[in-house]
Amino acid sequence: MSDLRPITALGAALPRLASFGALEIRENGGLALASLVLRRGTVEPTPFGLTLPGPGRCVAGQGVAAVWTGLDQWMIEAEGRAELDFAAELKQLAPGCSVTEQTDGWVAFEIVSRAGSRPLNALLSKLVNVDLADFGPGRATRTGLEHMTCFVIRRGDAHIAVLGARSSAGSLWHALETAAKRLEER
Amino acid sequence: MTRLAGGLIDRSRTLNFSFDGKRYQGHPGDTLASALLANGVRLVGRSFKYHRPRGVLSAGSEEPNAIVELRSGARQEPNTRATVVELFEGLQARSQNRWPSLGFDALAINDLLSPFLTAGFYYKTFMWPKGFWEKLYEPAIRRAAGLGRLSMQADPDIYDKGFLHCDLLVIGGGAAGLAAALTAARGGARVILADEDFRLGGQLLSETGTLDGGQATNWISALEAEFESLPNIRVMRRTTVFGVYDHGIYGAVESVSDHFPEANGCVRQTLWRITAKRAILAAGATERPIAFADNDRPGIMLAGAMRAYANRWAACPSETVAVFTNNDDGHHTARDLAAKGVQIAAVIDARPEAKARGDYRLIAGGMVTGSRGRLGLKSIKVQENGRSEWIECGALGVSGGWNPNVHLFSHHRGRPVWNEPLQAFLPGEEGALGLIPAGAAAGHFSTADALRSGAQAAQRAMDELGIAASLPDLPRAEEADYTVAHVFHVPGKKRAWVDFQNDVTVKDIKLAHAENMGPVEHLKRYTTLGMATDQGKTSNVTGLAVMAELTGRSIPETGTTIFRPPYTPVTLSVLGGGDVGRHFRPRRLTPTHHWAKAQGAVFVEVGQWMRAQYFARAGETHWRQSVDREARAVRGAVGLCDVTTLGKIDVQGADVGEFLNRLYCNMMATLKVGRVRYGLMLREDGFAYDDGTCARLAEDHCVVTTTTANAGLVYRNMEFARQCLWPELDVQLISTTDAWAQIAVAGPKSRALLARIVDGFDLSNEAFPFMACAELTVCDGLRARLFRISFSGELAYEVAVPARYGHALIERLMELGADLGATPYGTEALGVLRIEKGHAAGPELNGQATAAMVGLGSMVSQKKDSVGAVMSRREGLAGDRRRLVGLRAVDPAGKVVSGSHLFAEDAPRKFDTDQGWITSACYSPHVGSMIGLGFLENGDERLGEVIVAANPLEGESARLRVVPAHFVDPEGARLRE
Amino acid sequence: MLIPHPLLGPRDAQEFTYLGDARLIDRPDSSAPDAEAAFCDYVFLRDNPAGVHRELWFHEQGDRSWLVVTRDTVTHEVLGAELARNVPLSRTRCGK
Repeated sequence: MSDLRPITALGAALPRLASFGALEIRENGGLALASLVLRRGTVEPTPFGLTLPGPGRCVAGQGVAAVWTGLDQWMIEAEGRAELDFAAELKQLAPGCSVTEQTDGWVAFEIVSRAGSRPLNALLSKLVNVDLADFGPGRATRTGLEHMTCFVIRRGDAHIAVLGARSSAGSLWHALETAAKRLEER
Repeated sequence: MTRLAGGLIDRSRTLNFSFDGKRYQGHPGDTLASALLANGVRLVGRSFKYHRPRGVLSAGSEEPNAIVELRSGARQEPNTRATVVELFEGLQARSQNRWPSLGFDALAINDLLSPFLTAGFYYKTFMWPKGFWEKLYEPAIRRAAGLGRLSMQADPDIYDKGFLHCDLLVIGGGAAGLAAALTAARGGARVILADEDFRLGGQLLSETGTLDGGQATNWISALEAEFESLPNIRVMRRTTVFGVYDHGIYGAVESVSDHFPEANGCVRQTLWRITAKRAILAAGATERPIAFADNDRPGIMLAGAMRAYANRWAACPSETVAVFTNNDDGHHTARDLAAKGVQIAAVIDARPEAKARGDYRLIAGGMVTGSRGRLGLKSIKVQENGRSEWIECGALGVSGGWNPNVHLFSHHRGRPVWNEPLQAFLPGEEGALGLIPAGAAAGHFSTADALRSGAQAAQRAMDELGIAASLPDLPRAEEADYTVAHVFHVPGKKRAWVDFQNDVTVKDIKLAHAENMGPVEHLKRYTTLGMATDQGKTSNVTGLAVMAELTGRSIPETGTTIFRPPYTPVTLSVLGGGDVGRHFRPRRLTPTHHWAKAQGAVFVEVGQWMRAQYFARAGETHWRQSVDREARAVRGAVGLCDVTTLGKIDVQGADVGEFLNRLYCNMMATLKVGRVRYGLMLREDGFAYDDGTCARLAEDHCVVTTTTANAGLVYRNMEFARQCLWPELDVQLISTTDAWAQIAVAGPKSRALLARIVDGFDLSNEAFPFMACAELTVCDGLRARLFRISFSGELAYEVAVPARYGHALIERLMELGADLGATPYGTEALGVLRIEKGHAAGPELNGQATAAMVGLGSMVSQKKDSVGAVMSRREGLAGDRRRLVGLRAVDPAGKVVSGSHLFAEDAPRKFDTDQGWITSACYSPHVGSMIGLGFLENGDERLGEVIVAANPLEGESARLRVVPAHFVDPEGARLRE
Repeated sequence: MLIPHPLLGPRDAQEFTYLGDARLIDRPDSSAPDAEAAFCDYVFLRDNPAGVHRELWFHEQGDRSWLVVTRDTVTHEVLGAELARNVPLSRTRCGK
């Protein structure tokens, strides 16, 4: 085991956590990510027992989830496995598919509301141009957020995750924090 | 004048405010205009050109006259309309466009000079002498004309933006809008109701008519309570829908805290982008004045506005008023004001058949032909059947009929259609898809008609969306008739104003006509009619009518102008979206950013990236000292540089080799596993595009790198090739730029340093030669990738680890390399090293260079097709004889400046003797003088020649010797050691 | 504008990057005798009609798909959108 110490996307030893009114934003440093793409003629796999979702959707299993990211292409997430070689593990479970390690390509912010979906929707309406009437649990999309390309994943009625490029983690945090603070002030 | 009785103001609370330094009081519910009128203030501004005294004309967002400067200090805001400024405690307002004071304005002299200031005077008067315009005329005119002044300070407030989606957007919260929103909301549709006012109700708030026998406000309050209880409707007060865009996208500004003394850290305004499946335009109608001689005195206002001030705000500009009308609506004003105890001096109705609607003196078939009162109306001249008389009054309400607010409907080139009975333009058949006009905006002027039309429009929209919505029970309301006569101006010799804000009179329109500026768009530009901040809301139709009369055509034949967004002025701050300064755009930080910062790095923006430019050490007083030291460290020992910003694209699939063969101009399919190859991409037009490396990690897996600047574009092009050109190939692309921290370890001691971190990996030249790559572990088990590639010309490697470990890795390398002289270097030294080595980069690959020009002509494979291959062989490109050369000052202390143009030593410095230019230049610590790279005609055949580099911008030129582009190790032995 | 994405439904045009004439899909055969002239047309000549036009749009802030969008350039009415990768495939199948 290497003795090198990792830092979070926001440049600290520990993930950042902050609350704004009913909203809590948590940097999810432990989330392992790998993309999975079908090759020509491969059979759609069911890694970790996940039935890969269709366009605009996500599915979750026991500590794992799959998000549709493009035609024949998904992002597979695994909680708490960032320090493992998750891509290698996925590759075993998806024979004949292209698998690319993505864990450090992204920063994941988990946003949870203690007051139901309302504050979350209010926050989203300030950040992304998504029709929230059609964005319940099980939906996920990639879209622009303050000029950054992000995945927005509806993990639950009162829980979303925003994944953005790791290098712009600071700008993404600023965008989320600013919007959340303004809701709190209202 | 004191307050009238009644009104929708909260008299239990008093608000203090000031206008031009004088203190006044008003109440919650007041606008600045209503409070000023209630305090007897009629004179509120000066006109744009003639500096004529002006008063409040309207009671809404169409106001052309009552334009004031609000607040002070950095929050000073010019050109706000007093008629829509909601009164708050401590409000400060100042009049504009006057000096030294509103009552006495020195530039009122312009009014006397008006014969010289007619339409088009700019074009005629200030044409000569040449050169005077810029230096004298324009600055003088700018000082004299114009409206308020900017604070010249940064806006201290914050602005926000957001996105909303709905089934139905209802624009306007008057009778029609409320009925529409109610219908759709009860049907279960997702509804947004937006209104520019701070109180819902629209014109209902200004009328005394009842709904179901009760006050209109009772019905509105009940509706508001119902809306509050429904989860599917969002009511947005103080929200102006200012623009209609394609496919149901609407722009709106919500004024969040403009009605507070200060935003106090809260958002001031929010820009909303609303995507609506259907929308209802219930924006109401705007009254237009009738032009007559001297019709612009303070106290002369729109009759409907006069009624609104009396009914809603319990204010009236005078105790004695008269009304001049060409339609029935003017009589409502007389009736309502009389009921409030205001003396009605007379109602002058241009229609001979007009009947009185109350106990007041009616002059049927009469016209107002003049007025008196320097700073406020004193009397009007009335003519009837050849008789004329002066009637004393302090205010005159004028009604020339009502124009439906079709503006938003026209944003999609929906041409309004003339309606003869209403003497107004109505929305036509064409217009924005899914936008349905209703209420007064559609010409339904009575309350009962407006309610019905709103509900029906909503039902139609719901039908189209497949949502079942039934018509609600609507309240019983007034069904008043509305008839109007074709009277737009009163003939006469004196000036009669059409556009109050830009000082355009009937005479100006006549002049434009006489000078052949007949078409509406010419008329507008020549006279500036309708081109002020109010965009001619009260003047456009009158202007058209006057022109129609002059040309003997009908109004529809004369044409209409096209309305464009925004409906009312929108501040640039809110359009900017809120993020300013450091947060104006996203910033990307490298994995070693925080470490570099702690080392004293100076950063430079490279696109969105922040990169370390150089690492200043104690005692270094000039950036060159740092850069020279860093470059020397790489050549003499070992340097470390974060190169994460280079684009990294993971390419997998059975056809990886073939795919890359078609993208790069050189052969890639033959690349062996465990090897790296330099690759050059061309554009399809044959010019060099981007360069990078391709590392083959497995038969079906490559990692390619791009330049920092082109990372996104190359990825886009690769996706284009994959999806559009060759979808039959089995290839998958994933961008992994951010996933790996990549650190260049360069210099003769780089191998020794890396040997200290790799886990049992053989770094010997035999096992891991130049252009090798491998996946391995470092520092006891950390997954890593190692590439033996060099940008500096030295023995060099790039090592990549998961991004979260980049910080720790560079720390470890520095620690372990202390005795080897490990030195961090930034982009500046990186540039010096690559120029010394003659590597083409951004300044050379500028989109105008061919592969041959940068010395890579032989890379373009003739054996295969690739993007740009065919076009690179065309005559014009193949025949370009400019070649990349090295340049060295003949005088060792001489300057080499990039951008300088190159000439033969004895040639004149002209365009046709120009032989190329310097692309990159730097001081080379290795060479000991300034050096450069440049493109030179036949450069490859002119080594040793002395040429001249001319820099006419600085008036400098220098003698340079043409040398090979490789200043360092031309044989490339160091790379392969 | 809204682009009717064939997989994701209506998406705001701000998520897309515009390229232009969909004919760019038809890259000429480089081995043909008239290849240079054909490439010259391909690179430099584009249709730009006032009316119905087939255009390439890239869903850059989305699923990274290239779409062929049929749009009336006068009214901005969008008449349809399909995945660009299906366009050449169907052309191959038709044997053209």
